[in-house]
Order: sequence, then structure tokens, then C-alpha cells
Amino acid sequence: MKPAARLVVTLVAALALLPGVVAVILHMPSFGDHALPYGDAINRLAPVERHVTNMVTAVNFDYRGFDTLGEEYMLLAAVTGALVLLRGRRGENVSDAPAKADGRSIAPRSPAVMLICRFFAPVLLLFGVYVVLHAQLTPGGGFQGGVIIGSGALLLYLGESYRTWRRFMRSLIFDMIEATGALIFVLAGFGPMMAGAKFLENTLPLGQSRALISGGLILVTNAGTALAVAGGFVLLLLEFLEETRALDAGDKS
Amino acid sequence: MTVLPWAVAAWLLGIGLYGIITSRHYLHLIGCLTVLQSSTYVLLLSAGYRWGAGAPIFYDHPPGTPAVDPVVQALVLTDIVVGATVSALLLALALQVHKRRGTLDPEELRPLRR
Repeated sequence: MKPAARLVVTLVAALALLPGVVAVILHMPSFGDHALPYGDAINRLAPVERHVTNMVTAVNFDYRGFDTLGEEYMLLAAVTGALVLLRGRRGENVSDAPAKADGRSIAPRSPAVMLICRFFAPVLLLFGVYVVLHAQLTPGGGFQGGVIIGSGALLLYLGESYRTWRRFMRSLIFDMIEATGALIFVLAGFGPMMAGAKFLENTLPLGQSRALISGGLILVTNAGTALAVAGGFVLLLLEFLEETRALDAGDKS
Repeated sequence: MTVLPWAVAAWLLGIGLYGIITSRHYLHLIGCLTVLQSSTYVLLLSAGYRWGAGAPIFYDHPPGTPAVDPVVQALVLTDIVVGATVSALLLALALQVHKRRGTLDPEELRPLRR
């Protein structure tokens, strides 16, 4: 189909659907002023049943933990797919020289960039760990903290060089971190079954509410998610940055 | 005012779809897909909102304080992170397509017109 014809078909379809869309929008419940039965039930029950203060974490890693297990494996599958597409025949023993565009040299980093990156990389790592560890108490959790840790790793490339990044970021380590994270979540599901409980049932001691160690199994599933997300994001960055490496003899992209 | 969030969600879905349909470049298409996806975030978060309520975190406030719906927030949270990795997967696909075929225009990438 030609682009112009496609646009005409789209416009006709949009015009046909428009009255329905308008009717649905006009009949939606009034914004900010309607019953939230499930949310209210969680807000009422989770502090008592699970001794956590962050309801979003309680939903993600306990009440809807099975759903999060699926999400985590979607993440694992997407990262694996991207890695399979990008990695090719490359191994760890290839050169770590950055590629050069024709006739252009690699500009040296300014000391200001290096200083800021050296200062912020540990701070960002620490902040990520803080966000992960306080998942059950304050806003945050394994997903957010994992992404923060993964992005913090990128400062190593930004502030130092491609060579330093390559030297420290060995993909095998992050393969293992990601796989361990995914495995922890599954084992957290099967663990309670060994004790005769249901899959992912929160059978661990719940601890004191508002304490760092509280929430029982939520701590385990949260840690697994944090590892999987942080490992996955670093792996993605690693493989995309490999595209900036100079090609070796016999390299196949 | 009360229909505005739903209208915004529908609008984001619409312009995302329009962008995908008229796209002449795969990177642009992936960007449009992200816009389309963000309409679900607006829809879900609006559905869980409540006037005058706080965040569903009862660390400083005692349980029982009016709070918005944590269920939809949890859905959006996982969706954003997984969406980012799916975008990365699509970008990796685009990269390989560009290496093989030298173009990212969907019109030129038709298998029959090699």
C-alpha cells in the first residue's frame, strides 16, 4: 500500500472510531472522584498483614508477585534478545580500542567532566542501593534502584574512557548478576512450597513495621528484581557501547 | 476538566498510532511506539487518582490517611522498566537491519523489492 493510500485508510478508520472514543471518554468515571476498591483494600490490609509502609512495593512483590515474576522474565527475554542480536561472535578477548570516524580524532575529556563523573558515580551507586534497600519503607524498590545503579555505571564510560569501561565491565559478571536475580525470584516462589505453603506465599518472619528488615519475602523478591534489572541494564549499555569499538580482523558484526 | 486525563490518554494513543503509520524511519517508529505506550501510563495513573489524597506510603502518615490507588502505580512501574528494555531490543533489531540493508526506511525494506 502506498503511504498516501495508507493515510486515507487511517483517516477513514479514525473517523469511524471517533464517535466511540468520544462516547467512552464522556462516560468514564469522574476523574479523582470514584471508588477505588482494590487500592483501598491494599491500603487498609497491607500495613497490617505485611508490616510494610510502601504499598506499591507490597503490590509488586507480594500481592501481585506472580505478575512481577512474569514481568521480570519479560525483561530477561528482552535483554537476552537484544544481546543475541548485538553480540555476534564477539568474545571477551577482543581489542578495547574505540572506533574512529574517518578523519576525526577522539576528543579528550575535559577535567570538569571527569571530576563530576568521578564524584557522582559512587554517589549514584550508593543512592541506587539505598532506593533498593528501602523498597518496603519509602518510595523506591528493585525496579527503580536497579535502573539507577545501571545508569550510574554509564558514568564510568562518560567520565573515563571506553577502555576503562571495557576493563571493568566484564559481561560475564553481569550475565551472572542478571541470571542470579531472576533465579532468586523463582526460588523465592518455590521456597515457601518446601515448607508446605503456596507459591510465593509470604511465610518469612515479617519483622517490625517501619524497620529496614521488614516485610518477609518482599525483601527477597525485591533483591532479586534489583539484581536482574541492574544486570540487565548494564548488559544492554555494554552491548550498545560495543558498537563504538574498532573492528578487529575477523570480527563479524 | 474531569474528562481531560482520558482525552490526553486517547490523544497520546492517537498521535502514537499516526506516527507509526506515517513513519519513514525505524528509529522514529520506535519513538512513536514509546509515545503510544505512554498513553497507558496516563490512563492507569488517572484511573487510580483521588482528589486530596497522598501517596500510598504510610511511613510518615499513619495507615488510614487518604491515599491514591497503589495497584495501578505498581502496574505502571513495572511497565516503564520492561518497556525500556523492549525499546532496547527494538533498537538492537534496527541496528542489525541497518547493518545488513543500509537503510531504515520501511518502504525500502520490503522483502519483495530487494
